[in-house]
Amino acid sequence: MNRTATRLLIAGFAACLLGEASSASAQGFDWKRHQGETIDFLTENHPWSNAVVAQLPEFEKLTGIKVQVDTFQEQQMRQRLVTLLQSKSQTVDAFMSLKSLEGRLYAHAGWYADLATLMHAPGETAPDYDVADLSHALVAGETFAGRLDGIPLNIEGPIVYYRKDVFQKCGIPPPASLDALMAAAAALHQCEPTVIPWATRGMKPALPYTFSNVLHNFGADYLDAAGKPVLCDPAGINAITWYADMLRQYGPPGAVNNSFLQTRELYGQGRAAMAFESSNEFGEMMKFPHRQDDTGVMLLPPGPGGASKPTVIGWGLSLSAFSTKTPAAWYFVQWATSKEMDAHLALQGIAPPRDSVANSAEYMAWLHQVPVRQDWAGLLKQMGATGTSEVGPPLDRQPQAREIVGDAVDSVLLGQASAHDAACNADKQIAAMQAEK
Amino acid sequence: MLLPALGFIALMIGFPLFDTLWLSLQHFSFGSSPRFAALGNYAQLLQDTKFWQGLRVTLALYLLSLALQLLAGLYLALLLHRTRVLRGLLRTLLVSPFVMPPVVVGMMWLVILDPSLGIANWLLGLVGIAPALWLASPDWVVPTVAMIDTWQWAPFVALILLAGLQTLPPDVFEAAAIDGARGWALLRRVTLPLLAPSIITAATLRSVDLLRFFDIIYITTQGGPGDASQTLNIYAFKQGFVFLDIGYASALMVTLTAIVIGAVLVLMRLRQAATW
Repeated sequence: MNRTATRLLIAGFAACLLGEASSASAQGFDWKRHQGETIDFLTENHPWSNAVVAQLPEFEKLTGIKVQVDTFQEQQMRQRLVTLLQSKSQTVDAFMSLKSLEGRLYAHAGWYADLATLMHAPGETAPDYDVADLSHALVAGETFAGRLDGIPLNIEGPIVYYRKDVFQKCGIPPPASLDALMAAAAALHQCEPTVIPWATRGMKPALPYTFSNVLHNFGADYLDAAGKPVLCDPAGINAITWYADMLRQYGPPGAVNNSFLQTRELYGQGRAAMAFESSNEFGEMMKFPHRQDDTGVMLLPPGPGGASKPTVIGWGLSLSAFSTKTPAAWYFVQWATSKEMDAHLALQGIAPPRDSVANSAEYMAWLHQVPVRQDWAGLLKQMGATGTSEVGPPLDRQPQAREIVGDAVDSVLLGQASAHDAACNADKQIAAMQAEK
Repeated sequence: MLLPALGFIALMIGFPLFDTLWLSLQHFSFGSSPRFAALGNYAQLLQDTKFWQGLRVTLALYLLSLALQLLAGLYLALLLHRTRVLRGLLRTLLVSPFVMPPVVVGMMWLVILDPSLGIANWLLGLVGIAPALWLASPDWVVPTVAMIDTWQWAPFVALILLAGLQTLPPDVFEAAAIDGARGWALLRRVTLPLLAPSIITAATLRSVDLLRFFDIIYITTQGGPGDASQTLNIYAFKQGFVFLDIGYASALMVTLTAIVIGAVLVLMRLRQAATW
């Protein structure tokens, strides 16, 4: 969805809420309207849900709604969720959902409840619940075919963490382009041979998250405007070559099996001078000795495609289309994604999806305690404003599509194929997936 | 008494099997309605290069792991059989690897074998050996996974063979000794033939697990690098629970089940032939 359409959509939601707010304000919002109901919430073991679940007694006291929580690891949660949704089970009402991965498929299958309908229902939305305050890019990521299927919970995307002290010692300025980044990696390799210049994801299913940013910065895309796969265009081939070369020449040994875990450890332990990893890992990385003082952060520098086009995604909170308790579950969504809750979570390092929270005095004070926190927060703001949530070819079956991209990059990284052959083969497979529809 | 048992078998074993078989005859992805496909999924499977790659990996891993586990298990069993001191302690130590959850084993070896952070390459470096990529090398990932599984399960094989060794008739060994049989000749001509039923029993038990190899690979490589360690079981899991293509995943699982049953039948025949 383009930005103008997104703004119109958000303005529409906001207008609806404003109308709702005025009537609700007049009558006073009734948080006890669904008292005595019980809802089921299926969640991933995630910092956001852990923090929210800890506050649940407050919600239950406020509304009289009881929340039954089932927490699983991400993959296990998804397995359970698709089984329940496929069987149209009524045993899940609210769930966390990663729209960039599964949103198209779930929306296509009709598994998400339409949140706008709930918002419009008389007296069901608190007057101070402000949708327009949420990041536009994130709301767009929660919207399918013009329908709001979730409320964003956090904001994240890959950023470059770099060791300011090592760069300074080697006399290397922070790179301002992808070419300069590769040159910096080469210079670091010469200057500090014991330090790994560049660490990022190489594992097949994990790498589209970081690779997509490189692809977009090269001015390439997965599909053209007509929906034809174009990874095999020169810009796409160059992006694959750059990504594979960086890992092969300047990455850690065995990078092909690396995901966020290894990247975090390598950078945190001081073994790597640069890491291209999720902004979500900031908190964990800064827990390692010295990293809070010697780390700089930046977006992936721009490439031939012009300005940097960061990848930005986030988890969302959605309701099941098969739930019989969506009004009560919508109360839970409002409470869990309210300004107050987002403000509370922000101070625990969960990047806020709301502009008002990101600009609040409390959050600012927390950021000012450590300089690199401010830089990190600045990047999140930039990502929210200019980022794209396209992590793989925009097809319904994202996991397969991402597997194809991962296969292409890894085959080049392992020396099993040229970038040209890998990219053209990926295009053929993506086209075959499109034809299956 | 027979009826409840039959009911239990029908419900707990028969139903899931027939349901999987039925699903394998459908074009069925989560998020869409099933359509009858007859043998369409099986035809797709025959043309799927990843299926054949998965079959190759499954068989290579099976044969290598089984050979290593039988050899290491036999060696350990013979050592324990001769040992007269601390037998209880040694047996307890032997049991410890295979009572560990596979997730723990996988994570432990993932850390040990990490090419940059692991202790394995550091130890190699101490004795002047170049670092290895271990699980990150397409050429070495199968032997490395086989090594991890052998570390965990060779003691299990050893315990079965030790039990077998302890039941062998001593008079046969006494007669062989009088005839001058010693060392390798005694092992090859007397011990191994007598121990064959126990060896085949251990091989059968390990075959069922090895052909369905999943957990260690899922934890350590998820089938990578590339598809170098993607067994049929991992591939079927990915098709079913990551790509949500339940029909095709069921066809893969039915095929794998047929392979496992086939291997077990062959080994059971061998067991009958080796009984003395």
